[in-house]
Amino acid sequence: MSESTQSELREELRNASVEPLLPIEKKLIGWSLAIGLVLLAVLAAANYLL
Amino acid sequence: MSNAALTDVGSPAAARPAPALNEDWLAVIIGLFIFVLGLAAVVHIDLIGWVVNTSVWINPGNALAPASKNYAPLGGAGALLATYVALTAVLSLGAAALKADVKRFALAFTAVFWIAYASWIIGNYAHFAAVTPAEQQKFGISWSLRLTNEGAYIFAVIAGLIIANFLPRFAAAIKEAVRPELYIKVAIVILGGFFAVTAAGKLSLASSLVLRGLAAIAEAYLIYWAVVYYVARKWFGFSREWAAPLASGISICGVSAAIATGGAIRARPLVPVLVSSLVVVFAVTEVLVLPFVSAALLAHEPLVASAWMGLAVKTDGAAVAAGGIAESLILAKNAAEGVRYQPGWILGTATTIKVFIDIFIGIWAFVLGYIWTNHINVTADSNKAKAREIWQRFPKFIIGFVVTFIVGLYLALGTPAEVAKNVPAAIGEANTFRVIFFILTFFSIGVLSDFKLLWQEGFGRLAAVYVVSLFGFVVWVGLAISWIFFHGVTPPLAG
Repeated sequence: MSESTQSELREELRNASVEPLLPIEKKLIGWSLAIGLVLLAVLAAANYLL
Repeated sequence: MSNAALTDVGSPAAARPAPALNEDWLAVIIGLFIFVLGLAAVVHIDLIGWVVNTSVWINPGNALAPASKNYAPLGGAGALLATYVALTAVLSLGAAALKADVKRFALAFTAVFWIAYASWIIGNYAHFAAVTPAEQQKFGISWSLRLTNEGAYIFAVIAGLIIANFLPRFAAAIKEAVRPELYIKVAIVILGGFFAVTAAGKLSLASSLVLRGLAAIAEAYLIYWAVVYYVARKWFGFSREWAAPLASGISICGVSAAIATGGAIRARPLVPVLVSSLVVVFAVTEVLVLPFVSAALLAHEPLVASAWMGLAVKTDGAAVAAGGIAESLILAKNAAEGVRYQPGWILGTATTIKVFIDIFIGIWAFVLGYIWTNHINVTADSNKAKAREIWQRFPKFIIGFVVTFIVGLYLALGTPAEVAKNVPAAIGEANTFRVIFFILTFFSIGVLSDFKLLWQEGFGRLAAVYVVSLFGFVVWVGLAISWIFFHGVTPPLAG
């Protein structure tokens, strides 16, 4: 990666404006966590029983 | 995608014609080639017994030897030279298939091979590697750092780190052959067969790994990703374009996940490239620390330690290699207490967990791509995420791992006893190459780790997300869940 590209990216990261979380992102995070926790509980139970 | 390729973005090399083969398929071909050559020994045709093997040494003359006694006349130096020539030839053919500059690759690989292997030999010096009092007595020494012989990988990383951070021009000169992703994928393909021979001894334990593998998928993709994405977006204010590859890099499988996610959400190519550079720096830090922590805290829970390495250490190379170091340290610690576990289980478990995680990357990238192109940055139909991207992003080296595992398992369990008894030694010869590819991986990861990135304004904030997520969450949740699934389960005893 060239020096100029790196400094452009650094500049961009410093000055980036905040993008609020969209409802679809909130859904993605919420559903991921919920499905993940349920799956882990099921697998842990299966691991214990089998 | 290789890390060498990462460094090519924006360079003239990026303008080369598209290769007929990618690194994934090349790794499958090379790994299977070595595996098949090794299997010839099952029918008493020793094709690769000349490969060099390094033992713990006090007298340099005893450090090296061919892997097989059939090639003893070659001597240690001859075996090392033969290994170098063979690897240079095979990998240069691979470089040609990747449309890389073959002459440059061969020259760079020469430097990579000799520096990496020299580090390995040094790391096997008895004062560094000898573990038990009996070993110390054997070598006539009174002290040792007890790093074990696999601890010598650390020496390869350190050699790479010195080059990356103090000799940047030399690092740039050898970058054509600095391909940790290629090397580790070849190693994983070979490892499939080795793990099959190990697993054949206790299939019930091997099958319970499947449940743990599924749990690893749930953890990495559904829990880690969601939390890291939230932290990056909400606490650190990163844009979606940065937060998604960053979340994948930290929570899933490092470089390949960041690249796949960047492509899926149609991020600018440089975004996942930069995230990947950061992933490598942190992976090195983890490799230098976590195996030793696991050996200190979990020596009596070997499979908890191995699953932890597979989950917490990012990038395939670092995770699998951390499993290797943890295995060596934990086996040595238990051996000193009189408990001798069968080798292979800790490394095999860490690898299997990692492979399970890798399997899902194409699907996850498609899910993200679908959401991004349909709901976030709504794009024209021609640029929307398509199901065929799942296969395009599927890490093909996993096919090689599965093939060698199935073939190894069949040979160990499904053939007459007089054939089956030759299988461990035959696969052991191929496994010697696996160790060499590990060494190359470690050295290459070191060369790609530019720690200066961490101090640069702007990038420091990316690093902060990494630190907070990895050491504040990922590492500990990985440990907790590994404990739930594996505590009390131990590998079979040796012999």
